[in-house]
Amino acid sequence: MSFLRRSAMAVPATAVFLLIAVPGFSQTPSRTATRITAQIPRMPDGKPNFTGLWQALGTADWDIKPHYAHAGPFFQLGAEGAEPAGEGIVEGDVIPYTPEAAAKVKENLANRMKLDPEIKCYMPGIPRANYLPFPFQIVQGNQDIAFAYEYATSNRAVNMGKFREGQVDTWMGTSNGHWEGATLVIDVSGLNGSSWYDRVGDFQTENTHVVERFTLADADHINYEATIEDQTIYTRPWKISTVFYRRKEKNAQLNEFKCVEFAEELIYGDLRKKK
Amino acid sequence: MRSFRFALMLTPVGLALLTAASALAQSAPHALPAAPKNWVQTKTPWGDPDIQGTWTSDDCIGTPMNRPANFGDRAYLTEQEMAERMKRLEQQHEGDLKDTVDANQRVGTGPPGNWGERARRPCRQTSLVVDPLNGRTPDLLPEAKTRPVPEGAGNNNPKADSWEDFSWYIRCISRGVTGSILPVIYGNGQQIIQGPGYVTILQEMVHEARVIPLDGRPHESSEVRSYMGDARGHWEGNTLVVETTNFLGGRTGIGLNGGGTPTSDALKLIERFTRISPDEMKYEVTVDDPKTYTRPFKIAFPLTQEAGYQNFEYACHEGNYAMFDSLSGARAKEKAAAAKAAAGK
Repeated sequence: MSFLRRSAMAVPATAVFLLIAVPGFSQTPSRTATRITAQIPRMPDGKPNFTGLWQALGTADWDIKPHYAHAGPFFQLGAEGAEPAGEGIVEGDVIPYTPEAAAKVKENLANRMKLDPEIKCYMPGIPRANYLPFPFQIVQGNQDIAFAYEYATSNRAVNMGKFREGQVDTWMGTSNGHWEGATLVIDVSGLNGSSWYDRVGDFQTENTHVVERFTLADADHINYEATIEDQTIYTRPWKISTVFYRRKEKNAQLNEFKCVEFAEELIYGDLRKKK
Repeated sequence: MRSFRFALMLTPVGLALLTAASALAQSAPHALPAAPKNWVQTKTPWGDPDIQGTWTSDDCIGTPMNRPANFGDRAYLTEQEMAERMKRLEQQHEGDLKDTVDANQRVGTGPPGNWGERARRPCRQTSLVVDPLNGRTPDLLPEAKTRPVPEGAGNNNPKADSWEDFSWYIRCISRGVTGSILPVIYGNGQQIIQGPGYVTILQEMVHEARVIPLDGRPHESSEVRSYMGDARGHWEGNTLVVETTNFLGGRTGIGLNGGGTPTSDALKLIERFTRISPDEMKYEVTVDDPKTYTRPFKIAFPLTQEAGYQNFEYACHEGNYAMFDSLSGARAKEKAAAAKAAAGK
């Protein structure tokens, strides 16, 4: 207890954080739990500092629902192009689509090569940007927070000031953030409805509202949750949850993946002058 | 983006797409608020000079990169010239408040000027190039003159055999570091977000995001190259100094929109950001490319803040109908010409 009291006095947010973030936490935490949370990087005002290079693991980029391994669309790519199995990141495993929306998912999947925005190097939207197999950089200061994603140089500024409605719908949406204890909560609205969640046609609309929750589990792991609601295509709100890992390689940094030129032949190829 | 509701997309032929039009009045030209007398650079809670905010290079819209010959070595406008330009901006603003297109106006493929950004005050400089003293970009080396320059905007009849005939910015790939901050007719916003150890610049133009580490780490391996390069920053007093290397060669140039003769893989940029008042920052960039120019040169212009100004998402590639239209138009023309030739036989 004396350790906890000391650290709680030094950094008031610590105690609050423990209560929120550690499952099964009681009034007398183990010294181990205290020590781990004490390692969380913090801003001068005691708030958790999310600045760093992060990346999701797993196969949610393929399919956010549980799935077994599949052959890829091009036999030429062999094992490299195949889809690995995964548990998915949807809580309860099922996205509660309306029957019409479920039919649209099937249609999307059938026409994936033409329709998936990722294939065309379009901005991925939220939440898909977060769990693509690319790193993203968070830079957190005392005002707004920057998210820079490697894929397609997509990015967003999270407004931490007075709530601001987006003036136009956009691919990456309008992000308004606030703190709930040690959790960074980001309300994402103003999405333009063109984004998918994965490569199997799971989709959103311009009515989709995403509320994300970022909580540092320790210095190198972010517990991520997002609640998604859209009465036009889902029968109830649903939730995804996953973990972002800090990239620890000594020279790890955000690189550039300007994929437009990798997609132009696919998009415009039939319009090239025939020789 | 100025603070009213539209999304503007310029295409190779200068076609503009207007959506969500609900134009609020654009602010009239006005002087920048004077800096408080005893203004000192504030610091972030972790001790770095605080240069956060959304800045724009709009003030020097229309200032030529290279100084017109009649100015000689004169770097700045006289007070009288400034007053004349202010008057012109005011007249332009009056015009902007009228109908977008007059009933008898001849309409081309370009958008009306007031769909773009306007300078809020005249720029004192006679050119964006400030060194050498003649205000002109140094000569190209012979090897640079042979580099192919893709089709930029402003050509209404471009070669359009393939997307590869078009410039990197028409393809919505990038305008490069200088092209993403140099003042042009739209998209000059620069949102700076600082954190301990980093400065981030989110740029409206083609949604660039520059993440600049300040921890003194060396540049990446020279094998890792990119359009926007590898940036490293440090503070010299209150000035943020950013050195960027590791560029892909033969892509964007230093001209407006990242156009002009492409720079080489030896390009090194040194940028200096110095906030001189709450709403004004001095910006300069030294361009050092020993495989392209006969000597290094320097470009400078102010960045300013305006109440209500914010970046908009510039989904350039996602909305690049111009590329479809340019290519499909060219194919249709060829088809029509072939049909005509066949009919004439």
